[in-house]
Order: sequence, then structure tokens, then C-alpha cells
Amino acid sequence: MDIKLPDSTLRKYLLTKASAEKIAEALTLCGPSIERLHKVTGNYVYDIEAITNRVDSASAFGIAREAATILPFFGVKAKLINDPYDIKAGELPERKSPKLPLTVEIRDQALVKRFAAIVLDGIVVKDSPKEIREELELAGERALNNLVDITNYLRLCFGQPVHIFDYDKISGAKMILRESKPGEKITTLDDRTHSLRGGDIVIEDGDGRLIDLCGIMGGKLSQVDDQTGRAVLFVQTYEPKRIRRTSLYTQKRTLAAQIFEKQPDSRLVIPTLIEGVKLLVKYANAKIAGDSIDLYYLKPEKKTIKLDLKLVNDLIGFKFDAKTVASILTGLGFTVKKFSPATFGVDVPSWRTHDVTIWPDLAEEIARIYGYFRLEGKLPVSAHLTTTTDPLLEIEYQAKSFLANLGFTEIFNYSLVGADIFTKADMDIDHSLALTNPLTSEFEYLRRSLIPSLLMDLANNQGKVDLPIRIFELSNIYLPALHPPGERGSHLAGETPAEQPILAMASQGLDYRTGKGYLEALLAKFRLNNLTFKPFAQKGGPWQINQTAEVYSGKHFLGVFGRLKPAVKSAFNLKGDVYLANLDFRAFASLANTTYTYTPISEYPDMIEDITIESNRTIGELIQLIKVESKLITKVIYQDSLKNKHTFTIHFNNPKRNLTQEEVNQIKTKLLKLA
Amino acid sequence: MYLAEETKKLTGKAASTKSLAELSLLETEFLGRNGIFNTQFDKLDISDKPRFGKEFNLQKHKAKKLITDRRNALIRKTEGERFDVTVPGILPPLGHLHLVTQAIREITAIFTPIGFIRRRYPEIDTDWYAAAGLNIPKDHPARDDQETFYVSENVVLTPHTSNGQLREMELMKKPPIKMVNIGKTYRRQIDVSHTPMFHQFEGLLIDKGINITHLIGVGNYFVQNYFGPDRRIRLRPHHFQFTEPSFEIDITCGVCQGVGCRLCKAGWLELGGAGMVHPTVLKNGGLNPDKYSGFAFGWGVERVLAMKYDLPDIRNIYTTDLRILNQF
Repeated sequence: MDIKLPDSTLRKYLLTKASAEKIAEALTLCGPSIERLHKVTGNYVYDIEAITNRVDSASAFGIAREAATILPFFGVKAKLINDPYDIKAGELPERKSPKLPLTVEIRDQALVKRFAAIVLDGIVVKDSPKEIREELELAGERALNNLVDITNYLRLCFGQPVHIFDYDKISGAKMILRESKPGEKITTLDDRTHSLRGGDIVIEDGDGRLIDLCGIMGGKLSQVDDQTGRAVLFVQTYEPKRIRRTSLYTQKRTLAAQIFEKQPDSRLVIPTLIEGVKLLVKYANAKIAGDSIDLYYLKPEKKTIKLDLKLVNDLIGFKFDAKTVASILTGLGFTVKKFSPATFGVDVPSWRTHDVTIWPDLAEEIARIYGYFRLEGKLPVSAHLTTTTDPLLEIEYQAKSFLANLGFTEIFNYSLVGADIFTKADMDIDHSLALTNPLTSEFEYLRRSLIPSLLMDLANNQGKVDLPIRIFELSNIYLPALHPPGERGSHLAGETPAEQPILAMASQGLDYRTGKGYLEALLAKFRLNNLTFKPFAQKGGPWQINQTAEVYSGKHFLGVFGRLKPAVKSAFNLKGDVYLANLDFRAFASLANTTYTYTPISEYPDMIEDITIESNRTIGELIQLIKVESKLITKVIYQDSLKNKHTFTIHFNNPKRNLTQEEVNQIKTKLLKLA
Repeated sequence: MYLAEETKKLTGKAASTKSLAELSLLETEFLGRNGIFNTQFDKLDISDKPRFGKEFNLQKHKAKKLITDRRNALIRKTEGERFDVTVPGILPPLGHLHLVTQAIREITAIFTPIGFIRRRYPEIDTDWYAAAGLNIPKDHPARDDQETFYVSENVVLTPHTSNGQLREMELMKKPPIKMVNIGKTYRRQIDVSHTPMFHQFEGLLIDKGINITHLIGVGNYFVQNYFGPDRRIRLRPHHFQFTEPSFEIDITCGVCQGVGCRLCKAGWLELGGAGMVHPTVLKNGGLNPDKYSGFAFGWGVERVLAMKYDLPDIRNIYTTDLRILNQF
């Protein structure tokens, strides 16, 4: 929650000689972060990032309380003044005007923690005094008139949202606080009409009209205007979850809503009301015209935390003494009772009951006020682990590096895709995981294939870089499959989708053999053996079926390599031949062999012969058949083909002796009979 | 004189050779195992051999010298030839690892020597691991900060790598736990400093007696190894539901070393969040918070990259334009 605070407002609650710069520095290091300090004529403005669980510090008084405790650690004296908790009920001016009726009915006490209101008469609407106007403007609020400005000023000073209604616009002088019904409509001060979902906190008047969307924004119907002469000053704390829910779905993230959902201190409601009355009396001629109403349903619990100094020091890694600990906590409003020299009972003040619940919360207060930045760093000493990392991670890096060394550029595409690129790739998006709250239609689904993204990458680079292009990506795909129970931890196993690492390679402007050569080089580098390429059987998708192969290592399916079909190529408007490889990387990694086995080399030279075989078999089959023909054949290199005549260069070797031409010729004769 | 005719012939032929290869052929022709000299000698009657032996050796020596001299002459000539050394080489294709891959490698290499094990946990996880188990109940305002993408009511794209905390505790069952979990994370936002997909590295150390100064020590160790030996970190108060206390971590600006300059905010740049593991999170991970304590941090891979290389727009890291990717 970001707030702007003028230095002059802060100093109404903080007595110190510290400069604004010093205050900003000290607060940033030990309290709420001051994102920026602006110098303006005769004043400064702090841009404060109030920490989310510290709604008590989101005000001039709250910041003053922090600063008063922090500054002494920077060698500057500081004192908290004008503490609103010191305002007594008796300070409310006496009623002299005739009493105006106001009926308040709370239909459900679970909706509101504390409800306070008072009726005022004799009001004169005009500009508020210059000082309030200026401070509000510096705080980023538009000054309107004395009534509205005073409510905003109270929020700025105390952090308690305040509202003011025109008494004469509340029919029957009756306010009924209740849950909204589904479909009910209310128009708020900003002229926006909301159709409510039901369960929101609202107030209706005597005619059943909604006059307040509580905790979010007041209703248009009961808005104060230039003619307002009688008003209801209104200070509450609400049930936080309802406020948050309404604020989120109506998309009204008002400052009031952000404060109410974080549970401001109900104890501050009456001091705020009294201070408000005083300001309205002073600056709007207001006169009290009713008893103050104070319905207090949920008082903050009294909380005492046992604090063991040794535990605190062990967690922080510093030796604090009992005196320092007590003085820090007392400064922040905690009450510290000593149980023994090293244990305390610490009472949590009403404004901290939501964020301070366990002793480490107190340790945090002690360490931060002293200053984390003053602690010396140490490298921890702990035992070596017996666990190891998943070998997949290392193989991934090695495979990526190898491909980069072969000339491929690695791309990271977003895991989130739109349906259009799948349609273009002739792939089915239907079974993909969809987001329930996508950012845009471009990022709507979790991809179940990397290929459409890679095709998009080729299209995006068309005309920008010269062909050939070689790219790859190694990322997870996501499948809505269920996991067997228990596989992924104890909580709600089986619910999470499958994440499967895929290596996809794409080349553009290369031929079949060159593209395939890169894949084969990768498989060879990682010693995947018994490779076979079988004609692709599946229909549909981006592949040109008669030029695509399934890749196996032994019985294990590794993936697919093949040519992009013309229809998809033209859908992406790609020039030149495109070849794609899509590998199941987990299968690849499990078969990869990165250890070495030594094979002695033959002392005798190879005999090398070319041979042309006429056969209708596939080249892959022929190579297999040649290899198994004789143990003396050590290498088969395919040269070229002319129709069904295929030429191979064959290496012969016997590691025990020199081969004779006759032996080789015998094998060649057998090879020529392969058909 | 015996073989003098052949030597003369060789003299003429050698002088007219233009290349070393041509000369090698000539050498074989005359002096090879089956060359002219040996053939002529072999033709002699066995009884004549001793008589001509001396002369044969003399001529053969002359012939060898001829060849050697010519070879040296040819080499000298070749060495003297004009050649443009500036002619460009023929390049093999040059590939490139993505910046993020390189950064992950570098980060892992920094944490390995101090005993942190690299992990990768699910990118899509249940609400328990990503939020509820991390002490962020449903309807809690802290969920605002997370900007989470949902797949279903109970399954989210992890908005941080902290889902790995509970998973690591469940895996290891007992401290010491030391991991650096690096993975893809997702948030519903896109602007100059945010992409909907990014990477985080999550450090987690749980053991007996772990305190705030250890986090500072490990943080300094990381920034000094990643950014440079003169860098250091500082901790400021912050709030996260899953750590207590929680910190915002700043690093000294690389330009001014913490003094303050135009580039930084008073000498410091924000690095990311960290904290001491919340007792509830330890409990949810099956560990006894009275016995063990730990720290955790989750920092952005792209963020440290952008800081190290001064990248103005983090979205550029996810460009698919090869003209940019081929620069790394």
C-alpha cells in the first residue's frame, strides 16, 4: 500500500530535530520503506510503501510512532506527540442544539466490528483551511470542501477511513446495516453503478434505498453537497474478508477498502470521531445534534506473548541485552513484564494484534529497530548433504551446449500461448490446460507442444536473418493428465498437471539429410544406440507424413523428425524447407550415456571398399543388413543412390591380423546378393 | 660413367618442376624402391655389382642432393609468394545458449561449492504448496501481491519458486536442507520490469542454529561472486507471510558502490525478498520449529541478469529475434 505523507503532517505527531532526509533514511532501513523524498516549497513529501501487514503504520501518526522509536538508534532524539489514543470521550463538545433523531439498526453483528456515528447540525459548507487543503494535495488527495477534506484528513493523520453523509438525504433518519442481496444496485460517489453479488456490507435508509457500499465508497444518494446543513459523521471497522471480496470484484481498490481489509484498530474509532467533530466544529460551524452512537461488537483480544531472550538472540545471531529489548518494545507500544532475567511477558497493543502473534514477530521488531544493516554476515557451517541433484538437469545443459556448438540458437518462448498458433500449425488446442484468468488471448493456454512457438519464431525472423536458420528450445510441455496418487507429495496428489520436458529443434533452409544429421549427431554424442527411424504413422499435425519418421533407440520411442507440411508452412508464410525434431527429453536423458568405455583400436589397417547394391529395401534396412553380414565390417558409410542402386563405402578390419583381398571379396559377393 | 646419364636427366627434370608434389613424384620415379636407380642397379650382373657399387652410391647421393636442393628452392619460392592473410575464414555455424540458461548455469556454479543442491520443482502446483502451506490462507490480502494465474480453483502457475520449500522438506524429511531451486514462475503482469513468465532461484537452508547473519553471509557470498568482489547486500524490513522476520534485500550500486548516484536510489538497488522460514511453514513441512530454523530467499534470474548487464527492458530477454539472441 503506497501512501504520500507531507513532512508537516508527520511533525504534528513527531517532535524531533531530525531532518526529512534523516527520517527517510532511518525509516527505510528500520521501518516502512521511503521510496522517494520530494522537496516542495516549504515542505517535503515522503512516498511510503506501507508494509502490507502494518496497516497501523499507514498514517502520519503511525509513521511518527515508528520514527520516534527508530531515530534514537541513529543518534537523534525523537518523541511521539498528540497521541490520538490519549483522546478521552469527555473531549466531545457538549450538545447545545436540539436533538435530531437517527436510528441505527445492525442486522448482522458479524458484519461490523465497531460502528460509531454522530449527527451534526448548522453546517456551513466552504473551503477548508489552507493548511489542510495544502497537506491533502501533497498527500495526493483532491481538496473539495471542508466536510470531505476533514474526513480525508482524518484518514491521513490516523489511518482510519471516515465518511460523512448528508443527514437530510437519509430517508426516515434511519440506517440499516445489512448484507446485500444478489442483484441489488448501488451508485457510488464516482457515479458508477454496481450490481452487487450479495453478501456485501451495505446500508439502506428508511425507504429501503442503498446509501453506502460500506468500507468501499459512499452512495451517491446520500452525498454531501454545497447545500448540506445537517450531516452524519461516520466511523467504522468492518469484517475484513467481506470488504476485500467486494472491493476485488467491483474493482474498486479504494484506499478505504485497502485499509479496512487489513483490519485497522477498532480502538481508534472513537478518538477519530471526536477529532472529526472538533475539526468540523472549528472549520464547518458544526454543532452536535445527537448523542454519539458507539456499537462495539468485536473488541481486540488481549494477547500476551512469552519471550525468551536466548531464542531471540539465536534467531537473530546477535547478543541483545534485556534492557535494549525492553526499550525497543516499549517504544513501539508493547507492555513488557519481566518474568526472569531472560524471559518476558509481552502484551501486544491493540493496533498490532493481527501482525504480532508469535515470539518471532517480536524478534523481528527488536532486530529491525536495532537495524538489520548493522548485523555482520557469516557463512553458515553445516553438514554436507548426501542427496544429489536430478541428472536430467545436467544432461539438459550438456545437450543445450552441444546444440549451441553445432550452430543452433536457443530460444525461450512463453509457456503460455494463444489458440491461433496451434490452429495455424494444424494442431489441437482443445486438450490443453487453459488459464481461468488469462492476461490476454495471446497467453491463454499452457502449451502442449513447443512446435507452434518455434514456427512462430521462424516466421518472426523471416527476412531479418539469412537462411539457413537453426533454432531449438528445451522446455516443459503441460498435459492435463493425472498423476498416480502419492507420486508428488502428500498434499492433494493427482491434481497437478503433468510437466514433460521436450527438446524441439527446427531448421529452415537446410535439406533432409543435413537436418537429420544434426539430430543424429546429438544422439551419437550422448551414445544413444540401436537407433531406428520408422515411417511416421500418425495423421494430422504439422508433419508431412511421407517425409517424417519416428525415432527409436532400441524399443524406446524418442520422438519424431520430419518435414513441415506445405499447408502449415504457408500458414506461417515460411520460405525454404523446414525440418523439425521433437524429442521426449526425459526418455533421451534416461538413455543417454555420459560415461566412457574404452575400446582398443586395431593394430591392422582398415581395408576400404565402395560397393553399389541394387535393392528395393530402404537405405536404413540395407545399412543394418550390411552391418550384420560380417564381424569384419567395422563401418558403413552411405554415399548416394541412383534409383534403387545404393552406394556405400565399407570399412573392413580384423583386429588380429591383416585382411586379404580374397576375404574381403567373399564378403562383398554376399553383400551384392542383398536385395 | 655409370648412371651419370640418369643423373643428368634428373637434373633437367628437377629444375623444371613447379610444385612439391611434382618433385615428390620425380623422387619416386628415380629414387623410389622400384625407381630408375634401383632398377638399373638390379639389372647388373651379380659379379659386376661390387665394381659399380661405389659409383652407384655416389650418383645416388648426387641425385638425392639435387632433389633436396630443388625442394628447398621450391619451399623458399612458396614462402615468398604473395598471399592476402586478411581473407575471411569460412565460419562453421555459430549457435548461442540463451542468456537465462547461461545465468542459471552461473548461479548453480556459485551455490554448489557452499553445498547447495540444485532442484527443480513443479511449475504448476496446488494451492497448498504455492500459498496455503506457505501460511497464505485463502482470502488473505497478501494474495494481492502474488498476481497468480489459475488453472483451476486449486491449481496455480507458481508465482514464485517457494513451492519448492515444502516439497524439499518432504523429500529430505530431516535437516540439513540446502537447496537452490531454480525454475519457471508466472505472474499476471507485463511491463518493462515484468514478463508473465520469468525464472526465480530460491535458496533454502534449514538446520540447527541458523540465524539472520547466515542469510547475510550467503547473500554477500552470492553477490560478490555474481556481480563482483566489491559488492555487498543489506537487509531492510519487509513482510512475507512465509517468513518471519522478512526482508527486502538491497545490493550496493555497481556504479557508485553505495554512495549514491544518478542510476541508483541512494547507493542501493533492490535485489529481492528473503526471510527466516516461518515456524508454520516448518511445521507444514514436517519439521519441528523449536529445533530447527532456516532462511529462504527467492530472487529473479532475469532481474540479476538485467542488473548485471544493465538491460533497460526485461521483456528483451524473451525476444525471439535472432538478431538479438545471436548477440549472447
